[in-house]
Amino acid sequence: MDHGPIALLGFVALFGLMMLRMPIGLAMGAVGVTGFGLINGFGPALKLLAQSPIRTATDAGFAVIPMFLLMGAIATTSGMSTELFRAANAFLGRFRGGLGMATIAACAGFAAISGSSVATAATFSAVAYPEMRRHRYPQSFSAGVIAAGGTLGSILPPSLVLAVYSLITQQDVGKLYIAGILPGILAILMYIATISVIALARPGFLPPGERHGWPEKLRALRGVWAITLLFLFIVGGMYGGAFTPTEAAGMGAGGAFLIATARGRLSLAQLMDCLQKALRTSAAIFSILIGALLFGYFLTVTQTPQHVTEFVTGLGLPRTGVLLLIMLMYLVLGCVMDAMAMVILTIPIIFPVIVSLGFDPVWFGVIIVMTVELGLIHPPVGMNVFVIKSVVRDIGMGTIFIGVIPFVITDLIRLGILIGFPIISTYLPNHM
Amino acid sequence: MKRALAFATVAERVAGLFLAVVTVLTFATVVLRYAFSIAIPDSYDLSRNFLGILTFWGIAMTGFRGEHIKVDLIWGVLPPAGQRALDALSTVFTLLCMAVFAYAMATKVLGEATSGETTYDLNLPVWPFYALAWSGLAVSVLLLGLRLAGQLRGTAETPVPIALSH
Repeated sequence: MDHGPIALLGFVALFGLMMLRMPIGLAMGAVGVTGFGLINGFGPALKLLAQSPIRTATDAGFAVIPMFLLMGAIATTSGMSTELFRAANAFLGRFRGGLGMATIAACAGFAAISGSSVATAATFSAVAYPEMRRHRYPQSFSAGVIAAGGTLGSILPPSLVLAVYSLITQQDVGKLYIAGILPGILAILMYIATISVIALARPGFLPPGERHGWPEKLRALRGVWAITLLFLFIVGGMYGGAFTPTEAAGMGAGGAFLIATARGRLSLAQLMDCLQKALRTSAAIFSILIGALLFGYFLTVTQTPQHVTEFVTGLGLPRTGVLLLIMLMYLVLGCVMDAMAMVILTIPIIFPVIVSLGFDPVWFGVIIVMTVELGLIHPPVGMNVFVIKSVVRDIGMGTIFIGVIPFVITDLIRLGILIGFPIISTYLPNHM
Repeated sequence: MKRALAFATVAERVAGLFLAVVTVLTFATVVLRYAFSIAIPDSYDLSRNFLGILTFWGIAMTGFRGEHIKVDLIWGVLPPAGQRALDALSTVFTLLCMAVFAYAMATKVLGEATSGETTYDLNLPVWPFYALAWSGLAVSVLLLGLRLAGQLRGTAETPVPIALSH
């Protein structure tokens, strides 16, 4: 029997519910279970609802999500973001546009402990934006730098989006994290280069930098060495196979707690707040994850991924053409959807296409995360832009979007480089 | 409604403690393995079952607070009355979903209790962990009912939104 109409109806219902602002995870779960019930009967559908969510919630592999979130929450609460910014500014502040460069470097450092784009953007809106404004940096540039810097949280380990991609596609999350390192470094360098180009092209636009002496640089480094060591320890441990990604997350959260406590930066009340924050964000992600897996069963019984694969491969486009088509779809979806929801909703459908075309799943993970991260800063949704606007009250959305334009162009160029040279993403994981 | 919000905060804090336990277990497992070649009995099973509890309670309280990830495209352009109507509709939808989910999960808990599944090392029965996870769903149905009543009367407090980190 052809289940195409039911599948189509399912997608229409899902998008209808999402547009009506129903919780995305619950909408996916409800449509998935109902659709499954329409095809296989509602008894098996209820059984599915009894089995699948608890299996997801008790999957030890998924523990990376709350524990890395906890690590990020502790790092934020204990003031590590300010120290990262101070250290980056001590080294990069002497250049024209140096505060912007320092913001990018500090965002990268913070992303490496929080794994979160939105958290990075929110934190540096409070830490770096006032500092840039005090030094007479234009509003649009200051906000644009923070929005772009925030996206580094999606690609550098321990990226939450990469973790979720790995869980959906059954890829090794450790390999994906390692695969994100070189593209992440490329992103940092290209953002810094973009700021240099802006400074060169418009000499009066950005103020000159301030030189910092070596004693000041060394003092600034004192604040960040511990957390840098922790990051290297976690990534090194995963790369060397000393521990699993879940264990790395536990070591990271435990290590961040020990560092913050040893420095007297974390009270019991603050720790409870960190646990609560990590729990809330984790729950929001898990609800989408559980919903997506339920929706995935519906997709399986309607054979949607197979139909999509047949359709796309039957278009007669070359491999790269199909890839570009998929990326274009993500850019369009990014106009209305959140990055995490986009990945969870579409990857079960898109991934079989990618595999059937012979693309490396790890490389594709990096590419897709870089593509959806663009949705964090381009209009009209731009989650990072909303976050900046919610922290910095005296700035218009239009001003922020103008500020991100140079970085969106940089992102597109970077995507081209990563597609043209897959070795940038695959070199490190292939040598694990 | 104020009491319900206070209860949700306490429930989240308790669920947060489960996260602390999972983290400590994971941390200690690695340290003890490399430092003393010692394995904590059932650390794997305990961690994943605690993860289930904290996740279900977290999802339940997030649903009650209306803080699940949503698309704001249409909601953002509606007048306040329209926004309130969509908020109430969202609560009804969440309530229905959680009620069906709680019912299905209850059958799973009963099934586990009769099957007698235990953990690997310590032979602890698994069903109490599942029952604790399920209780979060059951409580959320009650809390969502309260929230809906508040929204219909126009007395519901808007929960303070959090910055979702992903």
